[in-house]
Amino acid sequence: MTDATLAEPVAPAPVAPAPVAAESPAPRPRRTAALALKWLGVAPFMIFALLFLILPTIHIVLGAFQTPEGAFTLRNLAGLAVPQVVRPFMLSIRLSLLTAGLGCLIGLILAAAVTRGGLPGWIRDAMLTFSGVASNFAGVPLAFAFIATLGRLGLVTVVLKEVFGINLAATGFNLISFAGLTLTYLYFQIPLMILIITPALDGLKREWREAAEILGASGAQYWRMVALPVLWPSLLGTFALLFANSFGAVATAMALTGSSLSIVPIILFAQIRGDVLQDPHLGYAIAFGMIVITGIANLVYIVLRSRAEKWVR
Amino acid sequence: MGSPRFWSWAALVAGVLYFFLPLAGMFEFSLRARRGEYSLQAYANVLGDPQFRDTFLYSVVAALFTIVLGVLIVAPTAFWVRLKLPRLRPVIEFITLLPLVIPPIVIVFGYIRLYNTSSWLPLTGTAAGTNLLLVFGYATLALPYMYRAVDTGLRSIDIATLTEAAQGMGAGWFTIITRLILPNILSSLLSGAFLTFAIVIGEYVFAALLNRPAFGPYMVWMGGNKAYEPAALAVIAFGITWVCMGVIQLAARLGRHNRVQR
Amino acid sequence: MAFLQIAHLEKSFGTTRVVRDFDLSIEKGEFVSLLGPSGCGKTTVLRMVAGFETPSSGAIAIDGRDVIALRPNQRHIGMVFQAYALFPNLTVAENVAFGLKVKRMPADLRAARVREMLALIGLPDLGNRYPFQLSGGQQQRVALARALAIKPHVLLLDEPLSALDARIRVSLRAQIREIQRELQITTIFVTHDQEEALSISDRVVVMNGGVAEQVGTPFEIYNRPATRFVAQFVGTLNLIEADVIAPATGTVRIGTTEVSLGRPLPAGRVTLACRPEAVSLGAAEGRPLLLWAEIGKVEFLGAVIRLRAQAGRTALSLDMFNRPDTPPPAAGDRVQVSISPADLLVLEA
Repeated sequence: MTDATLAEPVAPAPVAPAPVAAESPAPRPRRTAALALKWLGVAPFMIFALLFLILPTIHIVLGAFQTPEGAFTLRNLAGLAVPQVVRPFMLSIRLSLLTAGLGCLIGLILAAAVTRGGLPGWIRDAMLTFSGVASNFAGVPLAFAFIATLGRLGLVTVVLKEVFGINLAATGFNLISFAGLTLTYLYFQIPLMILIITPALDGLKREWREAAEILGASGAQYWRMVALPVLWPSLLGTFALLFANSFGAVATAMALTGSSLSIVPIILFAQIRGDVLQDPHLGYAIAFGMIVITGIANLVYIVLRSRAEKWVR
Repeated sequence: MGSPRFWSWAALVAGVLYFFLPLAGMFEFSLRARRGEYSLQAYANVLGDPQFRDTFLYSVVAALFTIVLGVLIVAPTAFWVRLKLPRLRPVIEFITLLPLVIPPIVIVFGYIRLYNTSSWLPLTGTAAGTNLLLVFGYATLALPYMYRAVDTGLRSIDIATLTEAAQGMGAGWFTIITRLILPNILSSLLSGAFLTFAIVIGEYVFAALLNRPAFGPYMVWMGGNKAYEPAALAVIAFGITWVCMGVIQLAARLGRHNRVQR
Repeated sequence: MAFLQIAHLEKSFGTTRVVRDFDLSIEKGEFVSLLGPSGCGKTTVLRMVAGFETPSSGAIAIDGRDVIALRPNQRHIGMVFQAYALFPNLTVAENVAFGLKVKRMPADLRAARVREMLALIGLPDLGNRYPFQLSGGQQQRVALARALAIKPHVLLLDEPLSALDARIRVSLRAQIREIQRELQITTIFVTHDQEEALSISDRVVVMNGGVAEQVGTPFEIYNRPATRFVAQFVGTLNLIEADVIAPATGTVRIGTTEVSLGRPLPAGRVTLACRPEAVSLGAAEGRPLLLWAEIGKVEFLGAVIRLRAQAGRTALSLDMFNRPDTPPPAAGDRVQVSISPADLLVLEA
């Protein structure tokens, strides 16, 4: 099977090396060879996924349960139960829940407004295109944009002070804070929601709305009894995705706050860079904790979805 | 209840305000480099910085390698799975979604520990090895998007029938791939490629933790040391993202156009 | 005044007038079909009655009450859509109960009403199924039950059968008519299928280009079509070109045959039309129009055999009953066919 690595991921070899005369109908013995070849076709992908996705993750998970000498231990996980680790985890979970929740809600409202709200068609196209851009405009440049807008010398801060006489800092607002980070994260969370939920909104049939209406339902009743239940699985899935998206984000927070706001990815980043916690295996434990949290988010999603979707095949 | 259209407009206006203001702020800020007047000084500073050119070039090259690698891994696999191993599809799909669930910082942490100088595959021991690792890492990050794009492209054509028909007429695999499959999924491949480009060009965590001189770490360094240049960088990054998404839209439109003609 | 009164109804989208000066009066308990090709405006009329479209002008009154200003959820109308309009997230029983729940009917009354409706459509045991577990025909029956559960004043059916298999279409339309008769509910049925419209309706409105071309019973529509469009759209029609040689007596020449229709005709060329069943094989008493024809095709339709024949330049379809003791002619046979002048319609040229 070592050939598999050599057979680089180009077009798989012809199905039958055909040692038999061409006219004879496919003889049985070739089937096992064909089967092996079938699996060889996905070998490059599997090897890639194993080496650069699955093994590194497993290595982290195993490391969380090992002493530096390689013996099994639970001490690393127990080491998580200190305030300087627990607090970042709570902060990250709150941040992710909040931005995912708000992202879903606001994204749904905006998507519903452009798909169902009777607005001109070009607005919908423009919104989708912009969402594609904004959902990818994350990380460092996004932080810069918000600093340039709401930072101490930012456009909005200055305009508010000079034109309206409002001192933003005096109102208690600070961009380098939980609220500031939430506001910034929403810039990519909302567009992501719009991108995912718009096709789902398109899937709502006009007949459902009309049937509900003529049966006497108000718009709100239609949304509560039909549209939202139908959208529920998509909403849950997007929520889980937005949660993980925000939970693992490093660059935006780093560029926005330096390391003054202790969220988990920043703690882990510092740990990897400089071993600030004086214990390499505590780093494993933190990483493992992150996997567990995003894993739970997705598990909750899968369970809720299977319950919500009893009306689908 | 009020008029639904009124509320739609209200929501839209609020949304436009929220999404437009940071862009305006970023742009306005980037012009402030000279005291008392608007100028392109910050851009001149950035573009004149050899570090900018080096790191940007590095990231562009990394992105190109990532795209090639991604296409080579994803396209044949998606094709093969649709054609020969449809039962394996859920497994493959699950794997391609993992990078959305496992935080990137955890993945790169695994790389650092798994491929360090004392390991069985000491990729981080040399610059070339680390570069290779970075590209593989980026390919992993891009996997969900790349696979989704290609699989969508393949879904729109009936590859099993097409392939059988071509084989029936005596076409070899090379012909089938280059003449039949590629033209049909070209627009999807382009989408995946430009999305990958947009992701890689500003990526920070992988490059920073693997200590590579990429554009992302350079931007963070700028953010810590300069006032107006970061805004100029953000404008440039936004422009790149915008161009990438524009090309994707164009590719999608061309793809649809092709399909209608058929 | 009729129970449902539509007067001078107009609807334009942009510069296109999709419905023009449409009038219709429907008595209580009557079953009326709107029949026409796609784009003729029939669905737009229905949607204006339902309240989904606002008329450009005109009036719609139900039970003497103007409903133009009412929203769809205030009009007390039941509607069945083309297909797949059941709420996918609700069971059959919940779907049927939807309108009652919205009106806050107490749960026990609601359950009783749902049971009654499911029994009415003949699906008493499927209350707990989800729509995706039903066949297309069953789904449409549930949709009917859902529409009727709220005891609407008027029932609107928007091509409810067009997405179904041919066999189910026939049995379901009979069931719809039966239920409609039982409940005595005023009904408008939109279809593009003339056989469907003729078989199910008390009266049929044939529409074309936004205009009602003819309103009448199925018998009138089929046997006395008012316009060329109606004649051609409804049923199969033989068209015979004829020269009028004596306008006063209505004498025409078809090929070399001359025959008097016994009614005055305009001078010049006319197009005569007749149904396939008005053409008989062989000569007969009272059928002075005799033509020689060559049999082209013989189509066996069960109780009826349809013959395709060519008489000079005129192509004729004729139907004969299928009797075991009279075998049909074979293709290529030369036969004589006869038509009674009374069965000939004169279409404006």
